[in-house]
Amino acid sequence: MAADAIAPPCSDDWADDYLKAAPKGDLFADASPDMAAHWRTMLGRLSAQAQADPARLADHVGRQASDLGMAFRLTGDEQERPWPLGPVPLLIGAEEWTHIEQGLTQRAELLERVIADIYSTQSLVRDGKLPASIVTGSPHYWRVMTGTPPPRGHHLHFYAADIGRGPAGEWRVLADRVRTPVGVGYALENRLALSRATGDLLGAMHARRLAPFFADLRRGLAADCARADPRIGLLTPGRFNQSYAEQAHLARYLGLLLVEGDDLIVSDGRLFIRTIQGLKRIDGLWRWMDSRFLDPLAFDSKSRIGVPDLYDACARGGLMVGNWPGAGVIESRAFAAFLPQLAKAVLGQDLILPNIATWWCGQTREREHVRARLDNLVVGSAFDQDVAGLPDAHFTPGASLDAAQRDTLLAAMARRPMDYVGQEVVKLSTTPAVIDGRIAPLPFTLRVFVARDGAGQWRVMPGAFGRLAGHGDIRAALMGQADMSADMCVIDAKPVPPDTLLGSGTPAIRRVGGMLPAKAADNLFWLGRYIERTEMTLRLIRAIAGGSIEADLGPSLDSPAMARLVGLLVQWGAVSGSGAAIGPLCATALGDARQPGSVRALMAVVANIGEGLRDRLASDFWRLVRLPLPSFDGAVTETLLDASSRMIERISALSGLAAENMGRTDGWRFHDMGRRMERAANGCRLISLFGGDDASADDLTVLLDLMDSQISYRTRYLTGPALPPVRDLLALEPYNPRAIAYQALRLAEHVAALPTLRADGMPEEPRRLADALVARLAPLTGDMLTLADIADAESRLLGLSDAIGQRYFLQLHKTENADLLS
Amino acid sequence: MIYHVRHRTILRYAAPVQVARFNLRLKPAPWPGQWTSDHALSVNPAPSVIESRPAAWPVQVSRLVIEGSIRELVIESSFRAGVQGGAITAQPDDPDIGTVAQAALVDRGMGPSAPANYLYASPRAPLLADIGTWAGETLSPDQPIVAAALALALRIQSEFAYQPGVTDAGTPVADAFAARHGVCQDFAHVMVVALRLAGLPAAYVSGYLRTDPPPGMPRLVGADAMHAWVMLWCGPTRGWIGFDPTNGCITGDGHLFVAMGRDYAEVAPMDGLFIGGTGQSLSVMVDVAPEEEEVA
Repeated sequence: MAADAIAPPCSDDWADDYLKAAPKGDLFADASPDMAAHWRTMLGRLSAQAQADPARLADHVGRQASDLGMAFRLTGDEQERPWPLGPVPLLIGAEEWTHIEQGLTQRAELLERVIADIYSTQSLVRDGKLPASIVTGSPHYWRVMTGTPPPRGHHLHFYAADIGRGPAGEWRVLADRVRTPVGVGYALENRLALSRATGDLLGAMHARRLAPFFADLRRGLAADCARADPRIGLLTPGRFNQSYAEQAHLARYLGLLLVEGDDLIVSDGRLFIRTIQGLKRIDGLWRWMDSRFLDPLAFDSKSRIGVPDLYDACARGGLMVGNWPGAGVIESRAFAAFLPQLAKAVLGQDLILPNIATWWCGQTREREHVRARLDNLVVGSAFDQDVAGLPDAHFTPGASLDAAQRDTLLAAMARRPMDYVGQEVVKLSTTPAVIDGRIAPLPFTLRVFVARDGAGQWRVMPGAFGRLAGHGDIRAALMGQADMSADMCVIDAKPVPPDTLLGSGTPAIRRVGGMLPAKAADNLFWLGRYIERTEMTLRLIRAIAGGSIEADLGPSLDSPAMARLVGLLVQWGAVSGSGAAIGPLCATALGDARQPGSVRALMAVVANIGEGLRDRLASDFWRLVRLPLPSFDGAVTETLLDASSRMIERISALSGLAAENMGRTDGWRFHDMGRRMERAANGCRLISLFGGDDASADDLTVLLDLMDSQISYRTRYLTGPALPPVRDLLALEPYNPRAIAYQALRLAEHVAALPTLRADGMPEEPRRLADALVARLAPLTGDMLTLADIADAESRLLGLSDAIGQRYFLQLHKTENADLLS
Repeated sequence: MIYHVRHRTILRYAAPVQVARFNLRLKPAPWPGQWTSDHALSVNPAPSVIESRPAAWPVQVSRLVIEGSIRELVIESSFRAGVQGGAITAQPDDPDIGTVAQAALVDRGMGPSAPANYLYASPRAPLLADIGTWAGETLSPDQPIVAAALALALRIQSEFAYQPGVTDAGTPVADAFAARHGVCQDFAHVMVVALRLAGLPAAYVSGYLRTDPPPGMPRLVGADAMHAWVMLWCGPTRGWIGFDPTNGCITGDGHLFVAMGRDYAEVAPMDGLFIGGTGQSLSVMVDVAPEEEEVA
């Protein structure tokens, strides 16, 4: 096997086996001799890499996908699912691709002009080229946008289409998408995972690179903004959206701010983002939410994720929104029926890429056609709405209906024909995929993406999101239950020029990461607090389970120290009462999700807050947070100790990531302030519980251990723990990173370094309070410190935390909708 | 008839509103056969912003912003309006429902009151199959349009119980339909849905009724607040005709048009964001007086 490692054999077994069984029209079997050679090379290389075991290849690629943090949700999923990436890319030659590119470019231009017409002069409707009832039937038609043109007249910045290839090799458009380009980020990640998994394979095959497309898209968004170096946000519906992970990835990749509605505010017809430096102008939005949610005062008054008066900012001009609100009007299936005639009317051309044949039943002749040929057609909702008589969601083959269903459907169609379309049954060709450990053909569709570049010209992404049908309706959501995704590579005859980005000029060098939205600051702060609280909870559990109390003490619930430890767990909501025996008690505090303060629950909060910071946290962070709790058995103390220790190590790893990998930005400061704040507050609590005037040696030992200062103490003092030196070390020593005074100094440094809103040089409230806390502790020594001093420090910390929240974070108010009865 | 209309709304909050950004739809939109003058809007506390907004439908929208602690908000809208007399009735040459439905599908209008806008389901008026079944023969395609719609309005009036308080502005049409009760808003929604299910363009209208009836006539139901009824497009010749399912009649010179949209949400007299406020309570007072009476 050693020789294999040097020169992997290019076995043709996979290719030959596959071709024996490939159906007519298969992408590989049908390929030109040149392309077939590429397929053979690729399959040979993949086979060699996987030692001829397709399952091994699938595992390998799947692992790369999961390492990238790729995941998705189906509607209704609470947890994200692992990303199903097939290991075999689809290959399409340059010539075939050129045809698709031309077709998509033509279509994007056509749709742009049709949308512009619908929202301005409406000449297409007036001239009878397009029925008014096709426009008004769309739930994405927003009449209020009429006469409100976008900057430079660009309603569309991106356009996506689902295309399918028939058995004769002909490509058809199955659906047009302009509301959100869902899938474009996944296409990028698929490529990343595949190229990581396959080394130089893609380069060797001359696969076209995707990066230039995204650079063009970015420039296209920027070009329509009013300012030269614009601030652009990616507007997300939030972390519960199915494609949130994709949105976060794209924001990061393109250098856009990932924003939710409540990050933004419209003032005087201009859009701003709330940051820790006050309101900052936003020049453009790449929106990933439907128009109806954008502005509760102009569109759907029930929306809670939009920005009040965003409509005004659009109408006033000077704000780029891609795609422009209302663009979705062209997405309906019924609309597709009119594109061939619109292409003639608007462009004077035939469609290069035909539609799937569609008959809208709102027209008399088409209605009769659908009625007469019902068994040979697929019947669906014309506007993607619930309609009468279609038992299965929105699309049903006529032949699958029984007699009663058929009668019901025909009766419903007679009453409201405009709600229905008939479409031809699509036959899709296949491509090689790994199924159950074998290479076998699967039908596929591609989602392809088009964007405007800086000059406003259309660019087609040289690749696609490939979807391999498990079963079910391939035209439905991006990914269905049993579907797989695959990368698609456009193969050039010649090597791809190494870097096509060079022409665009080098960006200006910068050293800071831009401004920090108020909500991100809020989340980072609380992320820090929750991580620190988790660590302290773990230390309490470890102390209770016997880790800290010196050997001769042994774990016992009877000692006063133990009762106070358990009391703290109760107070923090990690356990509900102190009645249980030590084992079950610790097991509850570790793993009971119903206890809001248990380690499991706290880690879930950490993951949840982290989710809202997805564009700011490294994937290593995710891996650590997502690891399951170590296993333990409440009856075996060693397992509890072991689990707590391993979790503490994990928290240390998170601290290490923050310390070594986070840039020293304001974001890092908020995260660190959260840690410091929580640690200082916990320190006050612990000293008042275990460091009182009558503290025993046991108490002080527990205290030193909980505050992780056992070693420091022993290196300074040869005697056992005594009250004044312990208090000094834990409360006042500025060199002990666990001491309260140390946290106070770091907090004061952080608030001093944060931006100020005052132009008069006066300190803001957080700075005043932090400095006062430092000054309060500085002159004290361990022998003069009283518990009253500790209580005072604790209340000052609380005040500081509130002041930080008031000054820097979003003040989210409860809002109430007023509806008046008629 | 010429009317003086006064409409006062008082909102009280247990915890004060910090910022209010909201829309008012209280000024009558232009409508054939009706004129409006001397519209005045008074709001207390005084808004920092008050602007008129473009609207998708025959609706006049005012946008207001009020900043500062609000415990009580008083909104008073008043105007003069004239409505042309002359009762509308079914005619022997009225088109049938099937003909009107087909005419609506091919109509090329795209304006705010173009029939195509009102053909489809809208968020507050989903096309519930049960309502279609219930309306059934009343709206069969061969029925003459005006007579059939009046028959439907009369059926709602007789089969549904008018019960203020059992529904509110947020009650889904399905609930009101299932219980066969509600107020004008619910009845108008049911009628809109039934008409659209028959393929007809139907709109939701908000407006006012004269408070006291002409001598010898019964007082209409719904006159003590804003009222709601239905507009039905009856073909290119007859155009839009109002039907009041609460009172089982075709609207006449006692009905003052304010706004028309696809459903309640698009003509709601008030909607928006009231940040910080809780414990809202509401009182409404409407007075619609014929001008002659004031002189007398």
